[in-house]
Amino acid sequence: MLFHSQIFLLAFLPATLALYYRLAENANGRQRLLIVASLIFYGWWDIRFVPLLLGQVVMTWTMAAIHFQTGSRLPIWLAIYANLSVLALFKYLDFLVSIAEQGLGVPLPRAGLILPIGISFYTFQLVSYLVDVLRGEAKHYELRKLTLFVVLFPHLIAGPIVRHNEIIPQFALDPLRAGAAERISRGLALLVSGIALKVFLADSLARIADPTFVAIERAVPSFSDAVAGTLAFALQVFFDFAAYSDMAIGLALMMGLHFPLNFNQPYRATSLRQFWRRWHMTLSRFLRDYVYIPLGGSREGTARYLFATFATMGLCGLWHGAGWTFIIWGLAHAAGLAICRFWDDADLPMPPALGWLLTFFFTVALFGLFRSPDLTSAYRLGIGLAGAGAIGKPWSINTIMTLLVATGLALAPVTFKDALDRWLVATRLTAAALAATAFYALLVVGEGQPKNFIYFQF
Amino acid sequence: MLGWEQFLKMVLLGLCGLLAFAYGFIVLINPYGHLPWHVLGAHAIMDTNQRFQYPAIARSQLFNSVVIGTSSARLLDPDRLDAALGGRFANLSMNAARAWEQYRLARLFLAHQPRLKTLLMALDWVWCDERADLDRITVRGFPEWLYDENPWNDWIYLLNPPTIEFAGRLALYRLGLKPARLAANGFSVFVPPESAYDAVKAEKYIWQGRSREINAVIPAYAPSAEDLQSWRFPAIAWLDELLRETPKNTRRILAFMPSHIASQPAPGSREAAREQTCKAHIWEIGKRHDAEIIDFRIYSSITTRDVHFWDPLHYRLPIAHRIVDGIARAVATRLDDPGGDWAYVH
Repeated sequence: MLFHSQIFLLAFLPATLALYYRLAENANGRQRLLIVASLIFYGWWDIRFVPLLLGQVVMTWTMAAIHFQTGSRLPIWLAIYANLSVLALFKYLDFLVSIAEQGLGVPLPRAGLILPIGISFYTFQLVSYLVDVLRGEAKHYELRKLTLFVVLFPHLIAGPIVRHNEIIPQFALDPLRAGAAERISRGLALLVSGIALKVFLADSLARIADPTFVAIERAVPSFSDAVAGTLAFALQVFFDFAAYSDMAIGLALMMGLHFPLNFNQPYRATSLRQFWRRWHMTLSRFLRDYVYIPLGGSREGTARYLFATFATMGLCGLWHGAGWTFIIWGLAHAAGLAICRFWDDADLPMPPALGWLLTFFFTVALFGLFRSPDLTSAYRLGIGLAGAGAIGKPWSINTIMTLLVATGLALAPVTFKDALDRWLVATRLTAAALAATAFYALLVVGEGQPKNFIYFQF
Repeated sequence: MLGWEQFLKMVLLGLCGLLAFAYGFIVLINPYGHLPWHVLGAHAIMDTNQRFQYPAIARSQLFNSVVIGTSSARLLDPDRLDAALGGRFANLSMNAARAWEQYRLARLFLAHQPRLKTLLMALDWVWCDERADLDRITVRGFPEWLYDENPWNDWIYLLNPPTIEFAGRLALYRLGLKPARLAANGFSVFVPPESAYDAVKAEKYIWQGRSREINAVIPAYAPSAEDLQSWRFPAIAWLDELLRETPKNTRRILAFMPSHIASQPAPGSREAAREQTCKAHIWEIGKRHDAEIIDFRIYSSITTRDVHFWDPLHYRLPIAHRIVDGIARAVATRLDDPGGDWAYVH
């Protein structure tokens, strides 16, 4: 069930919210309701993966329970190992087999497992909880609360990657506490703006990007197509995921829960380090706290810094997908981050405008690699961008307008969420505008099959 | 300024009101004609997306004969077919229809017209497409829910901008403010008026800069056992099923529509051999179900002359009349056309 589908917006969400607020004074009851609703939401894609999801949660909780009873750290390590093994099995097994196949030079059988949707997101949340238990920074939650923390439908499929200690305490808060109407209104506004961004902008950008990434499987694209496709995808992936995050944050807010921000106008960044503080912020935070800092971070010498950076960003790439394009994308970002750091350490000048330009071109070009189906296609795209192919046809008016609007919005000084926080005030006019926009968005999502979010595949 | 509670109430009431109004209007007007009522007058075809509009005709039971095909059959005039073959014809040929879409529409017609007099399947290359089972529909989309017999899903795909637009047009039609887009029998002349025909332009469209000379391959390609094993014609099974489910007393006609020789495989080529193999399968199925089989997709006095076509696939209106008359004569005489327009197979 996609957020931007009528079945979700006209049936699932109203029913869930109505029951949730009916159970507002019964904390246990409304938590159980949200668990059931979230499992229905998840099972709508493929009911076969519900036992896997619940199995990972129950296993994690059981191992934590043994740890808290016995004081042994072994169950926690076993649980981390088991969770990561499940992720590796579904996501990376065939990739590893393909590497082995290339090394051995003989064909090997593939498992061909279907990737359970959201597995990368919920596994990371479980692992973060387990690591916090090891660090003594997490308590033993009731099974119901831990389950709800993991399966809560607004973030289950594609984040934001929330942490137990920022969400579980909120489960006890009365959703009808002061400000409920404002939270629901602002949540609804954010949900509607997310739908609009996804349907009108991200999906339009996909129509420009997709043909280029199909064409590079066969030939070097023209310069014009390579630039349009790469820029369109870089903007699409941002708006697609930012829209999803806005919808998730809005949905949570409608239930009185606050999710962390996930994007903060990353294409305005004037350095790569700043970019990663603004792009997929909850993943960056996870990687910083659970990979980069434990590996030594930046405080234990240059060699250790380089190791930590390349390992973290390599893992970041691998998290996005089992393929060399993702790994190289992550490692290229690591190289860029290292250069940024050395530049800063050497006190070399970097005017903000030049810093922005370099960051923008670097991140956009690397999204071309990220989207390419394989390295050969990525190479074709790269030389197409360098002008090795034909010049190509001029862009259509529609392409120019879509790219202009998207670039303008991506570089705007405020996010949609900021704008709504600042300027959504309770007047008759804004109420009418929100109702009309929500109505139109509901109509538009009823036309044809809604397109999946890009990050669902991760 | 309002309080937030008042604001939220206004938003929810406004949203629910708009949704209820839009949904009520759509259901009342019934733009796809699939709900069991017609308020303020009869149904009319108010849009040219035939995939959404033709199910209403198929369900209407107003017609006891039907021609189904792609745009290569859209110019076959139902009134002329009525006169030539008897019965009351609807022409439900859809632009760029895939074989699957034609099959679904024919099934729907059969399900609602148990006393079907004539089923005329106007065939073209899509029935021989090896990807027919993989590319079942086009980018135009295909509303499966209008073609099934599940009454529940009739209610859940209605809330969207095109449906509101169709409902609006239909309401205007019923108020006498707008004409119907297509005739009640599905027919429309989609090509420009005959007076606008430009032979030079047509020639350009037909040959698209290629040489006008079609060289037959000599010796003709002889399909190997491997070819015959690997060539796939997945749509033919649907045709088989369709003919099997057609009532016994129905006249079944399979007619390959003419296309200009520029769009046909060169004689003797591998593609021509593949097409012949496909046709042979269709002939075999047609014979098994006692269908009349007529082939206009041959080198003929129709298909070899540029002035008969607007483009390689679409013939002119007088040719459409010639095809209708030809079908009637073929069915009556059970012979090839002496002038060579068609081959009578069975």
